[in-house]
Order: sequence, then C-alpha cells, then structure tokens
Amino acid sequence: MEYLYGVIIIVGLYVILATSFNLIIGYGGLISIAHPVFFALGAYASAVLSRDFGVPVPFAMLAGMVVAFVSSIALALPSLRVSGDYLLIASIGFQLGVLEVIKNLRFTGGPGGFTNIPPFLIRDLGRESYVLLVVVVMIAVILLVRWIARSDYGRAMSAMQDDELAYASVGRDAMWMKIVIFALGSGIAGLAGALYAHYFRFIAPEQFEILQSAAILTMVVVGGMRTTWGPIVGALLLEAVPQAITFLHLPPSVLGPIQGLLFTGLVLVFMFFRPQGLVPAVDVWRAPQARAGKAEEFRS
Amino acid sequence: MSSILTVNGLQKSFGGIVVARDIDLTLHSGRIVGLIGPNGAGKTSLFNLITGVVKPDAGTVALAGETLNKLKFHQRIRRGLSRTWQNIRLFSSLPVIDNLLVATHDYPGERLVNVLFRRAHLARHNRAARDKAMDVLGKVGLAGVAHDRVADLPYGQQKLVGVARALMGDAKCLLLDEPMAGVEGQSYAAMQRVVREVAEHGVAVCVVEHNVAFIRDLCDEGVFMFSGAIMARGSVAELIRDPQLTELYFGH
Amino acid sequence: MLDATIILQILWTSLATSSYYVLFAVAFALVLKVTRLFNFAQAAIMTIAFYTAFVAVQWLAWPAWAAFAAMMAVTLAASYLLERIGFEALRKRGVSVMFVFVFTFMVSEFVAYVAMLIFGTWPQTIFPTIFWPATLIGNIAISAWDLPAIATTIGSLAALFVFMRFTRVGQFMVGVADNPDLAELYGINKRQIFLAAMLIAGVFVALGMFLYGTRAQVLPQTALSLMLFAIAATIMGGIGNIAGAAITAVVLGIIQNVSILVISSEWQGFLLYVFLFLAIVFFPSGLRLPRRKVRFGTATREIAPEPVAPAAESKA
Repeated sequence: MEYLYGVIIIVGLYVILATSFNLIIGYGGLISIAHPVFFALGAYASAVLSRDFGVPVPFAMLAGMVVAFVSSIALALPSLRVSGDYLLIASIGFQLGVLEVIKNLRFTGGPGGFTNIPPFLIRDLGRESYVLLVVVVMIAVILLVRWIARSDYGRAMSAMQDDELAYASVGRDAMWMKIVIFALGSGIAGLAGALYAHYFRFIAPEQFEILQSAAILTMVVVGGMRTTWGPIVGALLLEAVPQAITFLHLPPSVLGPIQGLLFTGLVLVFMFFRPQGLVPAVDVWRAPQARAGKAEEFRS
Repeated sequence: MSSILTVNGLQKSFGGIVVARDIDLTLHSGRIVGLIGPNGAGKTSLFNLITGVVKPDAGTVALAGETLNKLKFHQRIRRGLSRTWQNIRLFSSLPVIDNLLVATHDYPGERLVNVLFRRAHLARHNRAARDKAMDVLGKVGLAGVAHDRVADLPYGQQKLVGVARALMGDAKCLLLDEPMAGVEGQSYAAMQRVVREVAEHGVAVCVVEHNVAFIRDLCDEGVFMFSGAIMARGSVAELIRDPQLTELYFGH
Repeated sequence: MLDATIILQILWTSLATSSYYVLFAVAFALVLKVTRLFNFAQAAIMTIAFYTAFVAVQWLAWPAWAAFAAMMAVTLAASYLLERIGFEALRKRGVSVMFVFVFTFMVSEFVAYVAMLIFGTWPQTIFPTIFWPATLIGNIAISAWDLPAIATTIGSLAALFVFMRFTRVGQFMVGVADNPDLAELYGINKRQIFLAAMLIAGVFVALGMFLYGTRAQVLPQTALSLMLFAIAATIMGGIGNIAGAAITAVVLGIIQNVSILVISSEWQGFLLYVFLFLAIVFFPSGLRLPRRKVRFGTATREIAPEPVAPAAESKA
C-alpha cells in the first residue's frame, strides 16, 4: 500500500510539473530546460528551512515556492531583455550551474544529498492525508492553468505567440507577460519540489538533473502542448512506462539509461510523426462564452 | 489645427544604404497626409522609425509635444500612436473580434492580477470593449464575420480587420501602410469611408500608398519620398502633375 | 605566494588545453553562421566521436592512427546523417525554433543514454593513460601533448581560413551565411553548402574530441558540458563571428584554468555557468571584431553579426 501511495504522489507531482511547464512552453512560447532546477530550489529551500532553521513545514513549503518564483525572475529578466533564444541558453546554464552550486555547498548536504527532512502530516494523519494533499494541489494547479489559458490573459498569450511584433503594435508589453508566465510556472514547480521533499524526506542533486528536463519536456510535447489534458496524459504515460519496466527487474545501471532512451526516443518519434502530440490543441482561441455557444456577446 | 506628430532631422542608414535622410515631417489633427514614392524610397522605414521598431541614428520624434525617442514600440503605441502593416499581421489564432479586443488602449486582461482578483473591473471593461469592437466592425461592414477565423476571410477583409484593430486604441495619430494594396470593391469604399471618418474625429493620419486614385480622393496633402529623402510636398494634384517626380517614380 | 613560474606554468597549460575548446567553439559557430541553427546535437556528434576512438583503441586494440581515421570516418558519417535526415526534414517542414531546439537537444540526450547503456557511467579515456611525458623548459613543464594539440588547432584554423577565403565552396559558404536567399538566386546550392558546413564542423569535433579524450576523462554526459562552453564562446565572440568564437574560447579557457589560483577546484565547473550568464547579460551581441567589407553582387555590404531575434521590416 505504501508503495502505491508513493507512485500516486510521484505521478501527481509530475502532472503538476508538466502542467506548469506547459504554461511556460505551450502557452507562453518560452523555450527553457530549467524546470527541474526550480523543482530542486523549492525542495531544498523548504527542506533546509524546516530542518535546520525550525521553520514550520507549511511555511517552509511556501518559502520554497517563493524562492523558486524569485530566482526564476532573476533568470528570465536579463535573458528576455535580449530575446527568447537567449532564455533557452541561459536556462541551460542556470539548470547546470545551480546544481553545481548545490553539489558543492555544505549546508545543502553536497553531492550526498540532504537527509532527515521533517515529515508533514504523515505522523499525525497518516500517509493517505499526504496523498490527498498532493492530489488537491494537483487539481488546483490544473484548474488554475486552465482558467488562465481560457481567460483574457489567455487571449493575450495566444496573440503574443502568433505575432510578437503585432502584439507590440497594439500597445501590449510582451516581455513582462513572459516574465510573469515564467515566474508563475517556476513557482508552481517549486511548490511541487517542497511537496516532494517532505514526503520522501531525502533529496539529492542527481534527482534533479537534465534527465528530468527531458522527461518533463517529453510529457508536454508528447501529451500535447496548449491543452489541459495533454500534460496529464503525458505524465501518466511517461510514469506508467518506467513503472512497467521495473517489473522486468533490470539492474539499476541499465534501468536509468533505458528510461532515458524511452523518453528521448518517444519525443523524437512523436516529433517526426505526430508533432501536435496525443491531445490535439484547438486551432482558434475562443472566449469561454463563445465556446459554450452562448449568444451573450451579440447583445450590445 | 494642432500639430500632433512632429519628426525632426530623422536619420538612419543600414550598412551603406541611407534609408532616412534628415527627414522633417509634421502631421496635424484632422489632416490626411499621403506618403508616396517608388519602392525602396524609405516610406515604411519612416513608419518603423516613428514607431520605434527601428532606432534612428539621429533625429527626434514627438507626439503631442512629448518626445518619444527613449520609449519602446509598445510604449509609443500607448502614448497615442497606431499603425497597420503591409503584410497585415493579424493574430491568426484569434477570431476576428478578439483581434480587436486585445488591441484596446487599456487591456486589463494583460495583468494576471486583474484576471484572478478584479473580476468586476474586467467584466466592465470587456462589455465596453465588445460594444466598441462591434461598432468598429460595423463601420467597415464586417459585423457579420466577427466570430470567424481570420484565415477564413478574403484578403481585402483581412486588411480591413487590420485597420479596425488599429482603431481600437483611441490613437491620436494613425499610420497606415499600404492599406489599399490588393483591396478592391466594397472593401475599397469601406476603407476610404473609415479613414475619412477617423480624420474627422481629429486623428492625424498618414497613409503610405501606391494607389494614386486613393491618395488623390482622400489626402489633404502629399509628401514625395525618394531614396530616403523628402523630395517634395504639396497638394496631391500638384505632385502628380510634376514631370520630374513622375520620372523618379516610374524610372524605378 | 604568486610565483612567476607557477603563473607561467598555468598560462601555458591553459593555452594548450584551450585547444579543444577552440575546436568545439569553431564547430558550433560555423554551423550557426552558415545554417543559422543552434546545433544542440553537436554534443551527440562529440559523444559518437569519442566512443568510436575509445572502442577502436581499447576494445579493438587498433593503433592510434587507425583509431583516429575510424573516428573521423564515423563522425563525418554521423554529421552527414544528422544534416540529411534530421535538419533537412525539419527545414522542409518549416518548423519553429522550439522544434529544432527540442529535436537537437533530444538527439544529444538520446546518444548520451545509448552511451550510458553500452559503456556504463564511469569515466573513460581514449588511451589507457592520460599521462604524457613532459620536458622542462626553463622550469615550465611542457607535456608531449601540448605542442601537437596547439599545432593541430592552429593548423585547422589556418586551413579553415584558407578554405573560406580562397576556395569556391568556402566563398559560397560565406555568401550563404550572409544571405541564403540571395545566394540561391546566384545559383548556389544551399543544400550542399549546409552539408559542407556540417561536415567541416564534424572534422573539428573529431579533432577536438581526440585531443580531449587523450588528455581528460569522458563520461557519457561530458559532451553536453563541453558544448555549453562552445555556446558561451560563440555568444560572447559574436554570433556569426568564427574568429571571435575561437579567441573567446582561448580567453575563457585561460580564465577557467587561472581561476585555480583564487578559487577551489570544486567550484571551477561552476565558473563556466557564470561566464555564460555574464555573456548573456553583458554581451548579447557579442564582442565584435572590426567589420569586414565584402562585395557580393553589385552592392558593397558590411558583414555584421546578425541578431538571432527576428528583424523588423525594412523595405519600402
């Protein structure tokens, strides 16, 4: 039973990561590989604050989210001032660089990892409560991203992706919108990190490496960008597959690369044969009333 | 008749090519200026320089007395400039009316805070914006296609949507880049009507066009550009009659 | 504390070891200049190059020259496949920048995982040892690896320079880099030129990896970090500026090595990312060399680094 809870929580966290990454790359049109590093920042910040500074876990988790949020702005602001392509390159540097820092600092536990992270809820209310917590957060994130995408903000995001120059020509500021989207998505990743840390109670730099970037990217691209269900389907698919492989009882040195091969192989195959992903996006953005077919907008 | 847009000594070269040679231009409220000249004369470049898409080597641009030089493109638009594009540049993922809705002067939906927390404010703005959008679409005769995909419209109507979009921001100065290219029939008449009406409301208008009839019927004065410089100014009739200018125009 | 001998030693060693950095940077910069693609799949080519040489020497017991020849052949083949099967298909489809990025990045990751599967995750080198005999010249130890490395690099750069200035294909490459559509109008076959650029980059990658793999340890993921260095050098050197990328690679290599004097070794890896970040924040257009004027057709134009962001409209 405990094993199952672990799986549900992992899948739930990946859905959160994929959905928030879809916000950044799908709706925001921002190319970045730095999502796992914000997952890590949220996890480490929350872990360190709660274990070594006595901060109560809920506040530590929120602090983790804030750390991820603020550091993502530090990354996005200088990069986007130049162009979107620079964000990509800066994100590679940021992802690899911050992990280097974590590996070398003493207070993060170094390469060996950070242990004895204070538990949350499990001791008092049982593991089921934590599972419920993750599921609730997951649903909230899904609904939040969906709401944003369908709102007036979503209309603006869609226009911005269509033609950034025309977007500026109607008086809209693309750069700030991108920064907000990036920060929000990264902040959510930070929250997911904190949730991870306080359940599994052990975090190490190798859990947040580039493999995770590939995995999350795969979930979104294969699942279907700019859709609500795409990242969910992608996360389920890409977590179900490795779980299925573990039943083959392969040695860990082979298991890791095989999982990696599956991720990257899947993306490459999909990019060639079904670039729109499993869940196709609609081709035209419509306001919620128009979607429902109501005639509200015809009234003057 | 107040001057809305003032351009002084605008200068720009790309590599060895001079696209703007010491340009002085003033656009007045309610007047329609026709910017004519052969291809490569620097007409669209001038629009790019005025709006801030391209940074000039020298010179100033001022709107209603305020210097725009340090402002970015979207900031100048918010100060009261507006422009259309030669290749239209509509938002293809949005229906026609949404193209207009996203172009209002203030768009509260641009801020997440408004979307999440200030619902009433947003709703109020949207009601007014929709009314205005349908009104503008009605003026160009496109009210019926308000919810259609942009790609489904014929070229002439797409151009009209582009102009309609440029009218949503309550601009003081409107720059139209070849609005008539590829347009004919009803859309042509609608375009003329709309531009005239906009000018009557006090907007300063400048139109880049090759369509001589359009310029002649519509513009109060003409400015002839060649090789980055303004060669002549005057009434459109005078400019058309001038044999030297005609040679410059058709010699290319 | 700061002995002149130590400083000179470090300067010499860093100059020598910047040789492979230069080769990787030039490969990346060349492909970017000519094809306007950020070739994140270069790490895949680098990985393939190294492990081919490794297999030839350590598994098949081939002599060094044979291993090198095999490495060159396989690398060129891989570059050919990447260009013809990968990039051409993407160009035909007219895909977005994001698509190209994901694709090339995934290719590098894929190859890294294959390498992990076949070769495991412990460090390898091409020859069983990376220790080379050293001679002392005035108290500075000069390794038997250093001079060949520097010579190879200078030789390759010289050859590239001659190629691009004086051969037909080289000049066409410059033309395509400057204005691909105009080049096509003049009858230049873009396809062949793109392939040529990829193949030359492949040569540089093979040379670089042979040098690196005979001097340092390689893991399946090493190529990704090395490629990052190349990207930093390319950006700081000015996009479109191959000489700039080469010079920047040397400077960065020296700085990274010299930094051992002031920071501890575990932080050296981090320094690279600081470079990258600084490059983006302070040098978005790169450090430019003086522009060269070139005659192309009837117009005289300056060759300037092109921004990666889409240019505004300019004609009318």
